[in-house]
Amino acid sequence: MNKQSLIYTVIFTFLVSFVFVTVLAFANEATREQVRLNQELARQRAILNALNIDYGGPEDVQAKFDGVKVVERNGTELYQAQKEDYLVVAKEFSGSGLWGTIRGILAVQEDMDRTIGLEILEHNETPGLGGRIDEPWFKQQFRDLRIVDGTIEVGDAGEGDEDKENGEIDAITGATRTSDAMRVILSNELSAFQSILGGNS
Amino acid sequence: MSEAGSILKDNLWSNNPIFMQVLGICSALAVTNLLVNTMIMAIGVIFVMAMTNLTVSIIKGLMPRKVRMMVQTLIIAFYVIIVDLLLRAYLPDISRALGPYVGLIITNCIIMGRAEAFAQSNPPLISMWDGATSGFGYMAVLLAIAFFRELLGFGTLFGIQVFPDAFVPWTIMVTPPSAFFLLGFIIWIGKTIMNREGAPA
Repeated sequence: MNKQSLIYTVIFTFLVSFVFVTVLAFANEATREQVRLNQELARQRAILNALNIDYGGPEDVQAKFDGVKVVERNGTELYQAQKEDYLVVAKEFSGSGLWGTIRGILAVQEDMDRTIGLEILEHNETPGLGGRIDEPWFKQQFRDLRIVDGTIEVGDAGEGDEDKENGEIDAITGATRTSDAMRVILSNELSAFQSILGGNS
Repeated sequence: MSEAGSILKDNLWSNNPIFMQVLGICSALAVTNLLVNTMIMAIGVIFVMAMTNLTVSIIKGLMPRKVRMMVQTLIIAFYVIIVDLLLRAYLPDISRALGPYVGLIITNCIIMGRAEAFAQSNPPLISMWDGATSGFGYMAVLLAIAFFRELLGFGTLFGIQVFPDAFVPWTIMVTPPSAFFLLGFIIWIGKTIMNREGAPA
């Protein structure tokens, strides 16, 4: 058969595409469950981190996460955990960063007195600059930070604001616009919490 | 020297895909700010390139000339998606760090270049070897760039702190432009040594 003929070309192209795509479809099917589990696990870890709940391996994550109540309030899904003398609620947020959408989890005390924790699920900020929103020192700043005037202020660039009473976090060196984006996102987020929880602060 | 040996030398040194052919620059700039990411990316490229060359070489006798580049692209895309699925299922953290760059292996012109220039006219096993060694050449240059970028940009190597805390990281090393400078230096050094050896530059 003439390999340069039109019919051969069409049949060849069709068969090659068919074979490769079929194999891919099976590969996708075979890994789908694992990928879904990974995503689920990453999400549960993020929520537990935000709620300030310690955990160990994957089974422990599952067990601890089962202790977190998922409730719906005013049409928004909230994750709720009971601490000794107060209730913590966490909620997923998203907003625009410098290069793309930043998604994460923010947890606050139910009376909106303090933020409990921040966790980043997804971002496209510059690695090493804005991307440092994903680093522990940055997220640690939101642990038990007092909320002043219903918002979080971003101060000068630094290595982490240790003062938990001033309602302020340090900006990231060399990432002014990501820091600013975080300020806007988190302010919006706190207003959202305010209206959902009918806050009294 | 045996054929395999001379191919190895060619692809690693005298015809290195990056600093002699100046191909695959996009990923050389994008993924080289951390050694771990660079390593995984390079292994992905080696795998895709070896398998693509093998596959192209096996079916080259059946391929109509008109559609051969299209089929090559299909084969490359096939293996890249396999790599992406494997990373997502079994190395989710690295998959997250590499983000869109895995998918961009498809557009790495070294792969198509080798498929078209070598696999299209050589037997399967030696084509596979050519693909893999081209990948090694690519990996060597990328690791060299990543070594300096991670060392100066973060003060770490493979994530392990090597500089004291007092070290002030060079912000520019974290961003893509620094890879441009480093790549320029590497091409400069490589060509200088080559000229000294009397090899045609």
